[in-house]
Amino acid sequence: MKLVLDSLVVKREGWSLSVNGTFLPGVHLVSGDVGSGKSTLAQIIAGFQKPAHGTVSREGISKVMLSMQHPEYHITGLTVEKECASWGLNAPDILASAMLSGKEEESPFTLSRGELKRLHLACVLERATDLLLLDEPFSSLDCAEKERVCTRINQKHYGITIIFTHEQTTFPRVDHIWEICQGCLVDCGDMPGALERWQHAPARIQDLIRAHNGPRNLTTRDILEAAWQTHESG
Amino acid sequence: MADARIRLVSAALLSVAAFVSLQGALAAGIWWLIFTGRQKSLRNQRVIGMMILLIAIVSALIFLSGKDGLSYFVRMCVIILIGAWLYAGQQHGDFLRTGVWCLGKKTGFTLGLIAEMGMLVAEGLSEDFTRIRIAQSLKGLRWGPDMILPTGIVLIHSALARAQDTTELLAVRGYRDGGSMCPHFAPTRSDLVAGTGAICVLFFAIVSVSEFFIL
Repeated sequence: MKLVLDSLVVKREGWSLSVNGTFLPGVHLVSGDVGSGKSTLAQIIAGFQKPAHGTVSREGISKVMLSMQHPEYHITGLTVEKECASWGLNAPDILASAMLSGKEEESPFTLSRGELKRLHLACVLERATDLLLLDEPFSSLDCAEKERVCTRINQKHYGITIIFTHEQTTFPRVDHIWEICQGCLVDCGDMPGALERWQHAPARIQDLIRAHNGPRNLTTRDILEAAWQTHESG
Repeated sequence: MADARIRLVSAALLSVAAFVSLQGALAAGIWWLIFTGRQKSLRNQRVIGMMILLIAIVSALIFLSGKDGLSYFVRMCVIILIGAWLYAGQQHGDFLRTGVWCLGKKTGFTLGLIAEMGMLVAEGLSEDFTRIRIAQSLKGLRWGPDMILPTGIVLIHSALARAQDTTELLAVRGYRDGGSMCPHFAPTRSDLVAGTGAICVLFFAIVSVSEFFIL
């Protein structure tokens, strides 16, 4: 199973993005500034937008899922229970995992943005997929919920998961890092070596790398361990 | 058409002309053929096609009820073409400039601002609809009558949320009403010719054909 982006070029007025890369099974992180083209790239990979040039090859991939940044767009059910059913999922289980039990008969639009995001991610992450594209999955979530989502992402042991985000604090355990810099998708490589080449790395990770104690991965635990070692050695 | 004032007034006159009579609609249609980029003036041809299809259905029902469905169809189609031309040519700030030029920095500015916000909502609706269709296809849902209600709710909810964001932003920045602006327009000769043509079309629409010709 692999996803190959071959000489992709996306063009808009005064903006362009060039992409080359092969995504193998595992968790991939694509970082980049706001407006750098992360959402556009996610939609192109999912097949909902066409690039100006280049091809997207999905080898051994049949089930594709794209989670858009704003969960409202995904709503098709007029109640929370029907919304779960529209994903083909069992509502009580999903609502329990999203900590929304008891809200079955409420309209999804009466939920707060954070609650709706929780519900949406619970549905998306429950579905079996070969290629899962998560566009800003951590927006509108508090720290505890971000950690829960990260744990849930790491519980998926199959397929390719690509997270498009400019998040700077909470990450799941990732296998590969990419970043969009100056209109190009740059391959930073596999973890942990990718951290050395990751220009969008959060400041605290950059500090740890400068102190020669780069974390093994991006989870909170990895970063705390590296920080503790730095503190001990200092 | 470079001058937003002439574009807006022309669209208003032509819409009235097309609405009041079939001869006005035909004249407005000819004006559209002469003074616009025709197909190039239609930014979203698929949406326009759907609107015309909807009008065709209504026209057929009118026709079946024994009334003049064909006249209704022609008049509405021309109004849609004129509206699509106006929408495609509209630049950000056109309503604001025209409002201030026409009604001053208080009422004109406020009305212009409201119109600009309306345009932003219209642009947002199109993008929202595309994203909703993507989300529905991800769930394996096919477009049908049962999708109209949830889609409508999402569109209205998104438009209201966007409007609330904008109003909160204006309130936070201390906006009350009116504003300062020095509108500048650069009408071309073709703008003036087209504007005069629109006036003639309206005149032709409201005055009986027998007033022109000895019949």
